[in-house]
Order: sequence, then structure tokens, then C-alpha cells
Amino acid sequence: MVHQLKATGSAVKGKVVLTAFELGNFVQLLLERYDVYGPVSKGNQAVFGRVSDPAELRWDYVTTLLPPKKFFYAPFETLFHFHRELGITEQQVLNDRKRVLLGLHPCDVAALSLLDRVLDGWEYSDAEYRDKRDQTLVIALNCASPGKYCFCTSFGTGPEATQGYDLVLTELEGRFLAEAGTEAGRELLGSLAAPAAGPADLWEKAARLKEVRAAMTRRLPTERLPRALNEQFDHPVWEQVKEDCLSCGACTVVCPTCYCFNVWDRLNLDLATGERKMVWDSCQLVDFGRVALDHNFRGDRTARVKQRVYHKLSYFTQQYGEFGCVGCGRCVDACIKHIDLVDIVSQIGG
Amino acid sequence: MRKDFLPAPARIERIVRQTYDTHTYTLAFEDLDLRQSYAFAPGQFNMLSLFGIGEAPLSISSWHGQPDTFDHTVRSVGTVTDAMTHLGVGDRVWIRGPYGHGWPVPELQGRNILLVAGGIGLAPLRPLIAEFVARPEAYAGLEILYGARKTDDQLFTAEYGVWAAAPGAALRLAVDRGTPSFPGRVGPVTALFDDMTSRPENTVVVTCGPEIMMKFVVRGLLARGFTPEQIYVSLERRMECGVAKCGHCMIGPLYVCKDGPVFRYTALSNILEKIL
Repeated sequence: MVHQLKATGSAVKGKVVLTAFELGNFVQLLLERYDVYGPVSKGNQAVFGRVSDPAELRWDYVTTLLPPKKFFYAPFETLFHFHRELGITEQQVLNDRKRVLLGLHPCDVAALSLLDRVLDGWEYSDAEYRDKRDQTLVIALNCASPGKYCFCTSFGTGPEATQGYDLVLTELEGRFLAEAGTEAGRELLGSLAAPAAGPADLWEKAARLKEVRAAMTRRLPTERLPRALNEQFDHPVWEQVKEDCLSCGACTVVCPTCYCFNVWDRLNLDLATGERKMVWDSCQLVDFGRVALDHNFRGDRTARVKQRVYHKLSYFTQQYGEFGCVGCGRCVDACIKHIDLVDIVSQIGG
Repeated sequence: MRKDFLPAPARIERIVRQTYDTHTYTLAFEDLDLRQSYAFAPGQFNMLSLFGIGEAPLSISSWHGQPDTFDHTVRSVGTVTDAMTHLGVGDRVWIRGPYGHGWPVPELQGRNILLVAGGIGLAPLRPLIAEFVARPEAYAGLEILYGARKTDDQLFTAEYGVWAAAPGAALRLAVDRGTPSFPGRVGPVTALFDDMTSRPENTVVVTCGPEIMMKFVVRGLLARGFTPEQIYVSLERRMECGVAKCGHCMIGPLYVCKDGPVFRYTALSNILEKIL
């Protein structure tokens, strides 16, 4: 059996093996140096939360309620404080505290790379987002079993992280394989007195990930995308999706690549001071395309449900050369009616 | 710090009443360096804000050669634009911009400009008209077709005499509901197509107005032998950021704020979400 093989043979650089106990010690070490966030329990679900004790970490979690985008681009962000007479009184100060985001599954790591393309790309880069990304070490965790709604293999964004992490962990039999992806990751490993990984460890990792891939039966057919979508914009499937959709916007809140926002002024009770905020918005909400005189550029619900799917699977490829979906399945889980991208695209014949 | 979202203070230098609901505000940045360095192209827009009220995208309605100041012609139809009606000369507003791509001024050199506008849609075209009036010799001609609901909705009426008097310029007016004394056409702006002298040869079309109007303008012109390549439209969308991040103005893969608001019609003809 694979898992009975010992980590022997030639050591591989930047790769070590840790027992569960040693991994706990490693997290303890991180806690002393950084603010650490990772998968912790919230009721019977998991969320990315502040970690104060290694024992809180749920290494076996499947998915979290919210994706990690909230650490880089929070639901409410202050742009600046203002005084109606005096003007801009205080600007947002950049955070200089280093932090570690621990236990991100590969789909969420891939989603951060996609957010980078949007918020840190083109002519305008969001300096605050960039700063938060720079201040954060990402420790990924390869998947041990697919979730009910996962379909990451469709996009090659999981179950194995291939880029975008400083360190990636894979759970093996009775131990974890830790591999560095960046110089910062190598430094983290360098602080450990852990044995170097050998070919057998890597072989076991490959075998385990192969099992996870085989267990992931949900597949969104991407071969004919975005063409299949573009050629059938008025496909009858949308009539059904429109009937199912309640325009609640849950799918976009939990989406790791959704980034749309409003800019709001919050005025204090003194009616003089306040702050200007960026607030998450959703293309699924009826007000999203509403302008003055109550004109609505996307007042029709069919147009809104299409906008989400077309942005992810067609427009994003035209804008950034990649699909805007990573197959995490959160939108299906969060939807009361379980509107499912996999179903929709399968019906269209992607 | 998100520099892109930081507006600069500007003072209202002048307010000209255009109609019962529309005013032209001439603004000057308080910062003298910014006043000097600020430059825009006809058809671009600014984000204008009043702290505590909000921010709105507004096209710039003055000639880009006007020194030190710029104009916004604002119809009070929304939260910010309504609040602006309470402002007077010397009051402060906050501006960031300019944003987007404007009218194809280099391409217009030596060409006849057919300008088709509806209602407040004349505002982002006024810089082009002023450009023509300032340098008529640089163009083959300018034909303005302007439609409004009623005569008291017409903008910039005080300037019509100057516009029409420019060498090579013609101004034709239409209103949906006319009075007996109204000399122009009664009907949609497309009714003026029967009067226009512009021909597809050597003409570039620039149009701005309600989307339903532009839809019929484009159809009417295509039926008259104009090609999609020679038609430019300016679109309106909800915008929160102006820098292609907030997602509100997306149509297909395009961001109206970054790729527009002025588009060559061919750029829009393949958009799946049919807009014109």
C-alpha cells in the first residue's frame, strides 16, 4: 500500500514531511509571528476565521461559507473619511501587519489569482488590495475529498494547487507533505527541523490526488466554451433558470471571484462627518443596473441570471483570457433553488 | 490608499440655467496646479460628488480648449443631481477624472460631422460643437440634428445662433410636441433625416441620447447607406467607480467607463446582450 511506504530515498528541496503534531507546532510558530487565519468551525459549518490555537483548525473541512476574498476586499471598506465643509479628513492607512492565510483549498487559491487580474490589473491597480495581498502569506491545502457541489477539475483549478501559494500542504497517511512555492515559503520551511520529503511521499501525494480527481464526478463541460454560450444566447434553459432565481444575490456573495461593488457615503448623525465606502454589490440584484429616472439597464431577471454565467464563462475569457469560475460549488450550495452552473452549461451543450 | 477614488475639490464659478430642470455648472479646481494640469478629451466624463450625498458620472460639456475651467450640464433627475440644484456660485463639489474614451477627434479632421443628439445627450457633444466653431476650417462641415421633447427642454438655446453661423455648419431641430410657432420638425429626431444634407461619403456620425433614440438613429442611417464603421455612439450606464472595477457598466466584455463611453458602432454590434 502506498501509505505504508516510508519517506526514504533522495530528499527533495523545499519539501518536508510533518506529523500532525509537528504541523500543530508549526502553526504555533506562525501564531507567534503573524496574524493567522484558517478554516475554523462556525456551528456545523467552516469559515475562514482568526486562529488562536492550532487545535481550532479544521484540516478536514470541505468548503467554507465565504471565500477568502473577504481578507483582501472586505464587504465594507472605507475609502476615506470626510467632513462636508473641511473635505477629506482621513485616508485609509495601509496595514503593515503580516498575516498568514492557512488551509486554502486550490480553487480558492486560483480565485485569488483571478481577483488579482481584475483588482490589480489594467491601467488602475487597487493599491490597498495589492498591499493586503503582499502582506499575506498563503498556505494552501490540497483537497482530500471533493465536496457535494465541487467541479474544480473542469477548470484545472483543483484538487491540487499548482501556483499562487507560498506553501502547500497535502495530507498523507499519518503525516502532511509541505512544499514551498515561493522563497517566503522556503524560509518558513527552513525554520523547521522536519525531515525532507522523498520520492515516496510525492508518489503518495500523486496517488491521493488521483483518487480525489476520480471521486469528483461533477463536470462542467468547458471544451466548447465560450463558443457554445455565445452561439446560443437565447437558449430556452434561461427561461427555467429565470423562473427558479429569486434575485437574492447569495451566489455572488459566496463566489470567490465576484468583485462588483457600490460606492456609498455614510453620513453620521451630526450630518457633517461621514465616510465613503466600497460595499459588495451583486449583478443579481434588481438595482444593479438602475440609473436616474428609474431606468434599469438590466431590469429583466433573465438578463441578470445570464449576466452572472456569461461573465464567468464567456466575458471573463475575453477580458482576461481565463474562465472566471474555479468550480468551488459555493454558488450552488448557497442558492435556495440550487441553480447549478454545471446543469445550465450541460443543457446548453458546452 | 485607493488614490483612484480620491476626488479633488472644485468651486462653482458660474451657473447657467438651461431649462426648468437642467443647469450648466462651470467648475474650477481649487488646486492651481491641478487647474493647469487637468486635461480632458471631448466625450470624456468625470465622477462628481457631494459628500454625504454620493457620486455620479457626468459628461463634460465644455470645449477642451477652455482654460482653467470645465462645464457639467446637469439635469436634476437623481440623488446627486437633485442635490446640485441647491448649490450656488462659490460652493464646492468634488471631482475625479477624466475617465473613458471620448469622440474620435483625430478621425474627424477634414471630415463632415453628422451630430445626432436627443435631450440631455447634447451635453457630451457640446465640446465637439465648440471645437468645430473654434476651428471650422479643420472640418468639411457640421450638421447638427437635435431632438427634444418640447422646446422648453432644448439645451444651449443661447448658443444656437453662434453654432449655425459657423462656416459649414447647419442646425436642425425637432421636438416631440411642437407649438405652432416652432420652425423645426415635430416628431423624433430621425424625422430630420429627410432634411439633412450629410451623405455617407466623407461623413462621421456622432450620436448621444436615450438608447431607444440611438437605436433608431443607427437603423435609419444604415438604411440610408451609412456604414457601421462611420457611426460613433455614447452610452450611459450606472457607474460606481469609473475605473473598470465595480462591474456596473459592463456590457458583454466591455466596460462603458473604460472602453467607452464613446464606442464605434461596430464594437457594439457583436455584443450578445443586444443594446442598439
